Amino acid sequence: MSAGFAAFLFTLAAAFEWGDFIGWTEVPLILASLGVVFFGLLIWWRQDWSYGVDGKDSKHLWEPKSAGSPFQNIDIRKVALWMFLMSEMMVFTSLFSTYMRYRFGIPNCMTVFESGEWVEGTAVTCFEPAAHLIASSWFHIAPGAINTFALIISSFTIVQALRYAKMKDIEEDVRKRKVMRYLGTTWVLAILFLTLKMIEWFIGFPTPGPLTDLNHGHSEIASLYAEGYTINADSYQHYAYDTMYHDGKDIPKDSALYTMLQEGTHPGGQMMANIQVSATTFYVTTGTHGAHVLGGIIGLTYMTLKAARGGYTPDNAVSIEYFGLYWHFVDLVWVLVFPFFYLY
Amino acid sequence: MRISRKKRLLIGLVLVISMLAMPSAQSLPGGISGVQESGCNCHGAVPSDSVAGSIEGLPDSYNYSEVYNLTLSFEGGPSQPGNVNQGGFHLWASEGELSILDATTQLYNANEVGHTEAGNDQTSWDVIWTAPATDRNVEFVLHVNSVNGNADGAGGGTSGDMWSKVSVSLGGPIEILEAADPFVVLGVLILVTFSLLVITLAYVFYRKDPDSFDWDNFSPWLADWLTTTDHKKIGTLYFVAGLFFLGVGGIMAMIIRIQLSVPGNDFLTQDQYNQFFTLHGTTMIFLAAMPMINGFANWMIPLQLGAADLALPRINAMSFWLQPFAALLIFTGVFSGHGADTGWTGYAPYSVSEATHSGTTMWAAGQILLVASSTLTGINFLTTMAVMRAPGMGWMQMPLFSWSILVANVMLFLSIPAFGVGLIQVYLDRVIGTAFYDIAAGGDPLLWSHLFWYFGHPEVYVVIVPSFGIISEVIATSSRRSVFGYRSMVYALAGIGVVAFIVYGHHMFTSGMSPTLRFVTMLTTMLVAVPTGIKIFNWLMTMHGGSLVYRTHTLWALGFLVTFTLGGISGMFFPSIAMDTHLHESYFVVAHFHYVLVGGTVFGFFAGIYYWWPKATGKMLSEKLGVLHFLTAFVSYNALFWPMHRLGVWGMTRRHHTYFVTTEEALGSLPMEAAGWNMFITVSGFIFFFSNFILVFNMIVTSIRGQDAPDDPWGGWSFEWMTSSPPPAHTQYKLSDGTWGLPTLEDANEHIANEPGVMGRWFQRLMVSDEESEGASN
Repeated sequence: MSAGFAAFLFTLAAAFEWGDFIGWTEVPLILASLGVVFFGLLIWWRQDWSYGVDGKDSKHLWEPKSAGSPFQNIDIRKVALWMFLMSEMMVFTSLFSTYMRYRFGIPNCMTVFESGEWVEGTAVTCFEPAAHLIASSWFHIAPGAINTFALIISSFTIVQALRYAKMKDIEEDVRKRKVMRYLGTTWVLAILFLTLKMIEWFIGFPTPGPLTDLNHGHSEIASLYAEGYTINADSYQHYAYDTMYHDGKDIPKDSALYTMLQEGTHPGGQMMANIQVSATTFYVTTGTHGAHVLGGIIGLTYMTLKAARGGYTPDNAVSIEYFGLYWHFVDLVWVLVFPFFYLY
Repeated sequence: MRISRKKRLLIGLVLVISMLAMPSAQSLPGGISGVQESGCNCHGAVPSDSVAGSIEGLPDSYNYSEVYNLTLSFEGGPSQPGNVNQGGFHLWASEGELSILDATTQLYNANEVGHTEAGNDQTSWDVIWTAPATDRNVEFVLHVNSVNGNADGAGGGTSGDMWSKVSVSLGGPIEILEAADPFVVLGVLILVTFSLLVITLAYVFYRKDPDSFDWDNFSPWLADWLTTTDHKKIGTLYFVAGLFFLGVGGIMAMIIRIQLSVPGNDFLTQDQYNQFFTLHGTTMIFLAAMPMINGFANWMIPLQLGAADLALPRINAMSFWLQPFAALLIFTGVFSGHGADTGWTGYAPYSVSEATHSGTTMWAAGQILLVASSTLTGINFLTTMAVMRAPGMGWMQMPLFSWSILVANVMLFLSIPAFGVGLIQVYLDRVIGTAFYDIAAGGDPLLWSHLFWYFGHPEVYVVIVPSFGIISEVIATSSRRSVFGYRSMVYALAGIGVVAFIVYGHHMFTSGMSPTLRFVTMLTTMLVAVPTGIKIFNWLMTMHGGSLVYRTHTLWALGFLVTFTLGGISGMFFPSIAMDTHLHESYFVVAHFHYVLVGGTVFGFFAGIYYWWPKATGKMLSEKLGVLHFLTAFVSYNALFWPMHRLGVWGMTRRHHTYFVTTEEALGSLPMEAAGWNMFITVSGFIFFFSNFILVFNMIVTSIRGQDAPDDPWGGWSFEWMTSSPPPAHTQYKLSDGTWGLPTLEDANEHIANEPGVMGRWFQRLMVSDEESEGASN
């Protein structure tokens, strides 16, 4: 056991090295490094694989409990998990404070546009919240909105899995089926989350037939990437930053641009914006959350497979509980990310 | 099974070696050797044998400052008399000065000369070389192009042209040895240290049982150390790693001191100096101090709490094994001259600019791994202390060392994610081109300073607070009484922990931060002196009320009190904004933080080593050698860092690779005495460096033929003295009724068990016992 474990540690750390310093062009090496990490995980899982199946080892199932106040009789691993979530909280706090620093420290693109202090052909540095693009249409916001509900529902299903795993007065195979199905549902919802995210970032989706009318006459929703909302966007153009688009309509009457439009002294055409910082904060924050979901998926894959052979019984249902704690946290973070980055 | 284990080790080894080799190999072409080559605008891809260049007019050995006329020419190749163009050249001289005679040649800089447009039509050119005024080995590199003249006009076709290269070297009147590249020095020293480590490892194994000294017996023993989850063994591993890197960081410090020993020295170039001070800082803080803290904590926390092991032994092993790999990453690139050169603070926007070496990316990556390691350690220790105290031991009965680790880990744990996120931002900026710190895109470099120092200031308390704990234990035991004012000690520790988070702005007084924030952090920083003062006075009162026994660890503790107080007082200059603006980036700062980090942290560590070594190894250290170590180290240490205060006040700046002295009042120059003081500092530095080998010698000698240690050699009271020396693999304690097992507080002879306090009871009501909740669902 310990030999395999050391190999796990050894290779995991080694793999991080490789993944880190190679850079993005050397994909095979990155894959090799991920392979090494996965190999380590496999060694770890192999030890847990038969643990608790068919009542095996049941007399060895032992969950150490806390001795001292204030956590008297609380599982030690549960306390540790809460500690871990504490540091995770600080990670997202740091990301959010970065976001707020830039959101409030750099003039908003719409404000700059309305001030009229820009010249066509020269990019101005300003902050363009992703929400400006995403919240502009119900279709654009759909992936994010569906994702929110997917995660909330998955939080519910993981609790259901725990509930059935803990139930003592049901048939062995009923429990096995229920636990596996609920864990599987959670897994599917998590996959759905990442898939929709990829669609939103890179792929986009069509809006055929009657949907076209609802979508202002467009037959597709372009991905953020296709819209030019990228980390190297130094001359981004949003349709709302076009004086033609605004010609006479929905521009605040007290803005400088409105006065200029009335007098005919406004800068013509489209404003170009350098939005690298805005895109960076958006992609890195939501991406960090996505990485947490991916980590959850890897764990869930294993747990679902184990549940399929009846690996979870009331004796070791705590594994699901610990995973659930983490999963609720990921869910909660998304509930904060969504309004910050998608709505406002 | 055994074969596969061998294979695994082998694969690991190959991975490590190739990892080390690859970045060096990658960066070499543009690296050290690139200077001479960069001037060649060679026609054709490969040098041709049919072209023969020559340098005439060079002596066998030059005279100082003499002027030589050199004739550069070539023969062969496609060049024909009557061609439109015939050829060109580029000459590089490593030393001396080149100059030109006529319009056919042009000077790029003092070391490089080439032909002009007008010089295109000939096969021989004349230039002047002025020899250097001192003994040097001089290298000449000449590149020549033989041109067939198919270029109709300037810069035209070069097809069919050929080129070749000539190298000549000569010495001065006296042949001198070529100065070694400092990176080679560092590399060799580290290699030697590492080999010594391996030999020591083999020897330690040999000593265990001389008859079974072969690979079949060695590999399981080694595998056991590599795969252990025992807190004591991991603690030892942390120690070995920590001491090794303390040595590496020390070697770097000595190389830096050689450079600074005389004004205008060129032992290190600016570029090399930048890398050395960056890695010195990073190594000492993250790879020496932190692992040694973890070593102490790993060994002593479970023993002091009366627990069998840490709460999460596997996570513990993982946090250790992340460290060596992080260290490899941090050092990656150094030996090819492309190591991180940002300073340990890695200030943006320099750290994300193209101007930095590629090693900076690796540095950030390695630091990210260290952040992961520290986070795991934090989870582990906090959980252990929250849940695994012996029955009856309340928070207020925890030994002060445990308290200090608790406070240090809370600080580390709540601050290091900010650093991690900042590092990930820098890493992404460098690797995939995000724009967190890209000023052109509106990024704010001050954000990095905020994230870094939000972590960085608690971090310096993280490395000093465990020393407070060690000193509390040592002074209380040596005074033969319990520590004076236990509760006030705990509250002072906790106070430091809280204040640590609101003082960090004092690192950024000169960065253009808002004046309000500057004022606030000025006040809070001054506040730090209060809990620290309480601790100092409590230690003094402990000694006052006890009867002090002078053991080596006691001496180190007393030394700590002196040096740390001095460091604390010099630290009180910085919160004052006006003083800080004046002293910022000067050697006064260097003196201050070395006084608290070496005089505080490292002296505390030495006290801890002498105090707990018998417990951990079962052998007594030699007191004579210990006292010798203390005396030499304490004296040379003060001689090393005290004069730096004066240099700082004179205006010597840190992070500059050299300095100049004058007799006149001149901006940026130091008075003449500064040169003498710097030499004095260097000499003291070397004495301090070598004095620490007394400790290593002491450890080796006593572990071979030292006295066996009793269970409680110093008369300590906490739980760790209740087990045998060394403790058994599965820790057992000798209980008050004479049996062995896990203790409760009644077994200790110091404190009395009590109920949780008001807050504790209130908090406990929020908890639903897992046993109860499991019972409910039945």
